[in-house]
Amino acid sequence: MSDRGTPTYPAGTMQALLTTDLVTPQTRRVLAQRLKSPPIDCPPVLDPTELATLRAVCARLIPQPDRAEPIDLAAAVHDRLARNEGNGWRYAAMPPDLEAYRLGLLGLDELAHRMGGAAFVDLEAQRQDAVLRAVQRGEVGKSWRALPVALFFEELLAELVECYYSHPLAQDEIGYVGYADAHGWQAVGLDKLASHEPRPLPPVEQG
Amino acid sequence: MLRSPRKDTARFALTDVVDAVVIGTGAGGAPILARLARAGFRVVALEAGRAWDPPRDFATDERAQSALFWNDERLSAGEAPVHFGRNNSGTGVGGSTLHFTGYVPRPQPDDFRLHSESGVGADWPFVYGELEPYFEEVERVLGVSGPDPYPWGPPRRVPYSLQPLPLNGAAELMQRGCAALGLRTSAAPNAALSGSYYQPDIGWRPACVNRGFCQAGCSVGAKGSMDVTYLPLAVTAGAEIRADSFAVGFDVDPHGRINGVRYIEDGRERFQRCRQVFLCGGAIETPRLLLLSGLANSSGQVGRNFMAHMGLQVWGRFEEDVRPYKGIPGGLISEDMHRPPNSAFAGGYLLQSIGIMPVTYASQVARGRGLWGEALREHMRGYNHAAGINILGECLPYASNYLELSSERDGRGLPKPRIHFTLGDNEDRLCAHGEALMREIWAAAGAHDIWAYPRTAHVIGTCRMGTDPGAAVVDPDGRAFDVPNLYISDNSTFPSALSANPALTIMALALRTADRFLARGARGEN
Repeated sequence: MSDRGTPTYPAGTMQALLTTDLVTPQTRRVLAQRLKSPPIDCPPVLDPTELATLRAVCARLIPQPDRAEPIDLAAAVHDRLARNEGNGWRYAAMPPDLEAYRLGLLGLDELAHRMGGAAFVDLEAQRQDAVLRAVQRGEVGKSWRALPVALFFEELLAELVECYYSHPLAQDEIGYVGYADAHGWQAVGLDKLASHEPRPLPPVEQG
Repeated sequence: MLRSPRKDTARFALTDVVDAVVIGTGAGGAPILARLARAGFRVVALEAGRAWDPPRDFATDERAQSALFWNDERLSAGEAPVHFGRNNSGTGVGGSTLHFTGYVPRPQPDDFRLHSESGVGADWPFVYGELEPYFEEVERVLGVSGPDPYPWGPPRRVPYSLQPLPLNGAAELMQRGCAALGLRTSAAPNAALSGSYYQPDIGWRPACVNRGFCQAGCSVGAKGSMDVTYLPLAVTAGAEIRADSFAVGFDVDPHGRINGVRYIEDGRERFQRCRQVFLCGGAIETPRLLLLSGLANSSGQVGRNFMAHMGLQVWGRFEEDVRPYKGIPGGLISEDMHRPPNSAFAGGYLLQSIGIMPVTYASQVARGRGLWGEALREHMRGYNHAAGINILGECLPYASNYLELSSERDGRGLPKPRIHFTLGDNEDRLCAHGEALMREIWAAAGAHDIWAYPRTAHVIGTCRMGTDPGAAVVDPDGRAFDVPNLYISDNSTFPSALSANPALTIMALALRTADRFLARGARGEN
């Protein structure tokens, strides 16, 4: 890695592969569905202020300046909360997920006022990052009301990251093509690649 | 085309008094169901999850496949709160074997007498030799691909059925790093087929295609999950499997015998009359159901001694293209640390190379390194060059690690379980030893940016097996001391965690429990 640097992969790999018989019908169905933005068809469970804060947080934790239309992580989180779905466990020290998000987003906004004199959404990106770093490092007290701050940050970050890297475009970004599942893989050792596995783009000359 | 058992197995009516109800169709329940059906018993299995048709239903997508996990919320307490869900739980016909890795090294003889050996932990009430014929039987039925000879443990009386699976990138790197340090490695025994494989009453199963998705469901039937092995055997022999059937309680007669199981199907409560019950729900749902029912707990041991294997991982980035999504995830093994010399802890661990899917990896990067922003995206662009090793290490039983019912209700209206888990000194020392060694291995293999992710794997204990009715829930045959016609068969009865992945032992123990039950019957004692 040190010699070649972090690879950058070509865009569009998945959309090209999805039309081929290298992908099984059930996998194609799931990915094609996710490529569309998730519909918010449930009654809202976060109010407009909370949702705006969540969007602003998403934009800092997983910034997507390279995308004209960023993958909508806030909508994915909201959709899950509205459907009251979980992942099978929760830190016993945390309140239930929806309550945790409400308390956490409120706490972030209060901290933004304390640290930057404005609501989180109104702070500059650098200030927003400073607020998030303070939360992650536990420099802002142990808990906001019933919410353990460090655990809230860990859970929030893990959920956003899982949403992001579940998305076909993000999987393209990291050169993942495990979804090309119809025939499996013959080339499995080090540096062995099938013809339909993406190669990194040549490094761009700097300066 | 091999099909998973579906809903068309109906054979018995609720008004029938069946010989046995088996609760759960995973590694603990499926072998028993097959054994009893083969012996001519009228048996019904209740499975909380649905019946899948993997070739059609299983997408190669982590999010879509999360339906295989037990997603009812569990509350994780203590200083090392256990992550449940995809890490260690399952639902569906086949239970968590639907997404187990299929890594099936046997425990070694000294694992069964940890207390005698070290003065801590617990001994099993029988020796390795009791399970050896059952290990052989399970390995044959599942079709295990593995090396001959196998370098550790007692010499195998029967070689593995199939040649080892091909090594993927992570396995090759671990081989390189271990060789540099003088550690022995071997292709690991995996319950996935390196060639097509035939078993009577199961039929032909196809070879593994190296899709790398074992932990989110095998779509081709190459992995030896219960839905393509013991459950077809059971159904062929006359067993009935009821999917989407969630057991909620028992009716007990004045003599303390269970005379039927209450369960929810399609939102309605039903009652299946039966002569025997085999409870095989795993180390969380089994004690939970017993605590809900107030059964089998005169010892006060139901829910106690919860254990989870030490599963600490060490990751690194390599120049080479690893492509962690390809090949059998646990390709390589080393058991050289089964009992490390001069160690400051009891027991030991094995080393395993890791394949990993991107969402799981990203989640671990978020939790373990706390990366976000551009640093996170930069790290993740190196996913194809990431490789990991983990330990699978002993965890001692402690009374203070336990499961209880909380006052919070889940979607079914039942109390959520709360699981308290804190590592002891033994676990801390074992993990530190493993982390230091794995960092050395990765450095020797040429890794950059080496980092450790502390984690646990598997859920064990909570209904311990023993010889003293005052200190154990079940006897060495798996029979509850307090309820003469209740058997428990799953990882909950393990007195100690063993330094090997549990699925193979759960299945072997299930067959032994079934045989002990049948032998009692032959003596007229059931």
